[in-house]
Amino acid sequence: MRRFLVRRFVAAAPLAVATFLFAQTGQTPPNQDLWISINKPTARKLAIAVPEITTAGTLRSSVSDPFTGTLRSDLEYSGAFVIADPAHYPTGYRDPTAQDAADRWRGGGAEVLVDTRADVSGDRVSVEARVWDLVSRKMIMGKRYAGGVSYVERIAHTLANDIVKYFTGKDGLFLSSVAFVSDRDGSKDIYAMDFDGRNVRRLTSVRSLAMSPAAGHSAKIAYTSYARLYPQLWVMSTDGSDKHEVATGIELNASPTFSPDDTQIAFAGSAKGNADIYVVSAGGGGLRRLTTTRAIEASPAWSPTGRQILYTSDQSGNPQIYVVDPEGTGARRVTFAGNWNDEASWSPDGARIAFACRNEGDFNICLMDLATGQTVQLTSEGSNGHPTWSPDGQKIVYSSRRGGRSNIYTMDINGQNKRQLTESGNNIQPAWLP
Amino acid sequence: MKRHSTPLVALALFAAAILPLAQGCKKKPPTTTAEARPPVEQPAPETRVPPPATGAPREPVETEVLATDISELNKKGYLKDAFYDYDQSDLRDDARTALASNAEWLKRYPSIQVLIEGHCDERGTSAYNLALGDRRANAARDYLDSLGVAASRVRTVSYGKERPFCTESTEDCWQQNRRGHFVITAK
Repeated sequence: MRRFLVRRFVAAAPLAVATFLFAQTGQTPPNQDLWISINKPTARKLAIAVPEITTAGTLRSSVSDPFTGTLRSDLEYSGAFVIADPAHYPTGYRDPTAQDAADRWRGGGAEVLVDTRADVSGDRVSVEARVWDLVSRKMIMGKRYAGGVSYVERIAHTLANDIVKYFTGKDGLFLSSVAFVSDRDGSKDIYAMDFDGRNVRRLTSVRSLAMSPAAGHSAKIAYTSYARLYPQLWVMSTDGSDKHEVATGIELNASPTFSPDDTQIAFAGSAKGNADIYVVSAGGGGLRRLTTTRAIEASPAWSPTGRQILYTSDQSGNPQIYVVDPEGTGARRVTFAGNWNDEASWSPDGARIAFACRNEGDFNICLMDLATGQTVQLTSEGSNGHPTWSPDGQKIVYSSRRGGRSNIYTMDINGQNKRQLTESGNNIQPAWLP
Repeated sequence: MKRHSTPLVALALFAAAILPLAQGCKKKPPTTTAEARPPVEQPAPETRVPPPATGAPREPVETEVLATDISELNKKGYLKDAFYDYDQSDLRDDARTALASNAEWLKRYPSIQVLIEGHCDERGTSAYNLALGDRRANAARDYLDSLGVAASRVRTVSYGKERPFCTESTEDCWQQNRRGHFVITAK
């Protein structure tokens, strides 16, 4: 197997990650026993040992603790792994090619070992990572990462992404972000945070009302802004730069959603008090109306194929989810159970939808398989809403109101592994940014 | 007849105009500026007022209304808000009464322009409530139009459930939030 040097430069981050491939890599893992399907919620998790990062010299705990902690937390969060209990790790034995060493790790329950070594030089750190299959005693992944010591968590996230990619075939989430609306600074504005709730940054300072952030596919966010008194459609970059209005010529411009190629935006528009689904070119102009009922239509969601748009309509007497094609034809009803289904969102593979569902009492998050219509309710606590999918389709981010406070949570698509990401103020309308 | 320009007489006329409103409304008066409505209680109007001038209470004359600063004008409650049932934008009798009163007043001051803010209670989703608030505000505008107030004088904006007047999860509070709120924007 040949080795080659790959250099990747992560734009917009003061960290250059140099990746050195020690061993054969590819989309398909060589050992099929280690292939993990995280599409099956009940799939067995792979036990992975993640011992503390080592170093030839003295490693400050300000570097080692966040690195190891982040790596373990990420791998566990992926849903594909369980971290083998560190209390049972042998001391040393980082090279498990020897049967004796492999047995010591396996005796502690681990099937895979992630051995990491740091080399700190001034304010730079280089991390070498070797991932071992403890059954075959072969190294299955080897990489080297480098960056400033203050970005050690980012290195851990990058390694976790690579490990998840290797074992699941899907891109990891550990460098992704979530946009959301918060009133933590007074007015409702749009913010973004890392997938784990850290590193919150404010994207808008409308100081009136900015809401409904929707992720584009090319680092764009569409949203509704009251910056000029009336609710207008705006687009900005995911770092909050380059804000501009997308002129539609109509009064209400709510709940936008991008087409898969980001060239068009569907939204709930209203002329004279009758909200319908409209589409406008992302550059402004070319407005067309997709629905023509006298009922309320809102919350469009463009399908990953671009050929369908989910939306909510109360034409049956209560809000239910419908689907229509982008030409405005072929509208049909999708949800029938309950008395309020709303805020639908497509899974990245287009096979399922998540939505806010209510029969009696509070709203919950439901998941429907579009082929079978089979629906499962994923939440049971608080009043929940606005689900959107992680880019890998394995997580759902949503808002939940409990005890008078709204916060952002994530969960696995089987409803497990719920985590609260926000604490300050009220936080609603999350959108997972790729 | 005496001139109306002395401060005392002006105050008396103002008091006479707002007294019936104050009695009929035990809630805080809605705050009025469009861009920033802090969710705090507004100070109650001054209650110790001189006795009204002789004769029946009088409406302020046009020149006084039009001489008043817009933010002050909005605090005086000349225009009444319309209230709605849950998940409805149909105008109830009390809303029609309020809007008829507003129509009369607006016809007396034809240069005044207003914004109707559509508001909703916290139940239901944000996007749906934005559409519902839009529908409520437009229903109020259409009714004013039918009463002879040109639609060109009336703009609408929906805030859905995003800017509630009251934040408790009680029916009394929800009713306060289901409203078409009038804001004078030009005079």
